[in-house]
Amino acid sequence: MPEVKNENAKVFDPFESLRGLRDSYLDAMSKTMVEAVNTESYAQATGAMLDYCLSASAPFRDALEKSMAQALQQLSLPSRQEVAALAERFTNVEMRLDDLDAKVDRLLSAMATLKQDQDAKAEPKRARQAKKRG
Amino acid sequence: MQSPQSLTEQSLVFQKRLRLFTRVLSTKAPIARTPKELVWTLNKTKLYRYTPVLPPQRRFRIPLLLVFAIMNRPYILDLRPGNSFVEFMIGRGFDVYLLDWGKPGIEDKGMKLDDYAMEYLPRAIRKMKAISGSDVFSMLGWCIGAILTTIYAALRPDDGLRNLLLLTAPLDFSNRDHVTFAKWTDERYFDFEKILDAFGNMPGEMIDSGAKALKPIDNYITNYCKLWDNLDNPRVVEAWHAMNTWVTDNIPMAGAAYRQLIVELYRKNALIRNQLRVKDQLVDLSRIQANLLTVIAEGDHITPPCQSEAILQKVSSIDKEVYRVPGGHIGIMAGSAAHRTTWPHIEQWLSARSH
Repeated sequence: MPEVKNENAKVFDPFESLRGLRDSYLDAMSKTMVEAVNTESYAQATGAMLDYCLSASAPFRDALEKSMAQALQQLSLPSRQEVAALAERFTNVEMRLDDLDAKVDRLLSAMATLKQDQDAKAEPKRARQAKKRG
Repeated sequence: MQSPQSLTEQSLVFQKRLRLFTRVLSTKAPIARTPKELVWTLNKTKLYRYTPVLPPQRRFRIPLLLVFAIMNRPYILDLRPGNSFVEFMIGRGFDVYLLDWGKPGIEDKGMKLDDYAMEYLPRAIRKMKAISGSDVFSMLGWCIGAILTTIYAALRPDDGLRNLLLLTAPLDFSNRDHVTFAKWTDERYFDFEKILDAFGNMPGEMIDSGAKALKPIDNYITNYCKLWDNLDNPRVVEAWHAMNTWVTDNIPMAGAAYRQLIVELYRKNALIRNQLRVKDQLVDLSRIQANLLTVIAEGDHITPPCQSEAILQKVSSIDKEVYRVPGGHIGIMAGSAAHRTTWPHIEQWLSARSH
């Protein structure tokens, strides 16, 4: 395969000659579309389209879900709902563990404060004892 | 007329460009590279602490918690070396934590904004306080993260929040003429319950399509033309690649939280009206006392400026400021000019209030 001798040479770009025209066209189209999507009629149209797609696919989804549930049951495998319910319970357990973690943190903090207070109280006594011995 | 040799060379260079173009579109850029440590988890949520780069005596005592939206990856705040807000802030002595909400599964479809703001967020804050040894903290909420942090700040004003930063915060939905999403989610047109019945959670792909549909030509055509035109510029290609990696990493939004967002916020505008109830408590924005900086992107089409202005009149904060930046919803923090505009302003504002 022949090597490229000079990559700084003018590169073939299919859009080069039309670039300015392209940019102007896109700019104009962009402004037009931004105005178009910001209208009530656009909102109504997309809402209707979404509604139609979801309504049309609903019977197929229901049928698939029912047949999948039956198949999983026959195979003694958990369904998605069962796994989701288990996951919810795990989350509750995690929350309780987090609460315990918070309590332990508070206890440790209280113990550290108590120890500091005790050390502060014991310091003058230690100083007096050291003075007596000295 | 060009010689066959010249045409062959040009054809080869064109092939090379096409290969690069395809590679950028089909691969993931290395992102979120700032060293961090996982310090807490709950369900899918993770709290990271970024490794400090300055010695303790040169660091601010008050930690900073970054809270992003629940339907996008938070590493937009740490996109790539040299263009990372996290890297910028830890380099200036801040103790930075990042809350990653994770990707909700079908078992999380019942999670509401209440759970995010008043179960997960307080627990993460508790852990951050325990690690940092500071009872006071700063918190930055961006996009939906700003909603969650605002709710927290209003319901827990005495929990040690000193500084609250809200970026492109969608708090006020009253100006329907300027909020395109408010039109699209009108109850006459948008039956979100059918989506949630079908999928449980709001699919990330649909959220992404909705955001891109605000500027369809820019997002679906011009964006790729920009990449093609700049294939010879490695800096531009690298930046584009990183941003595209983040944009295409969509995650779903928990169904119940999405329902609240549409009904309570987009349709009823309950938050800014002090009518939102979270965990059976009324969210009264006047209870917010923290120092407040709200950053508004003047070119934001996802959260127009009008959505972030009213909060200043609602809070009881004495020290409050609005900072307007040219740019878009994401660009003001992750764009090429962010390190010259938004980041220094946030850093200066926060450093003056973090002693």
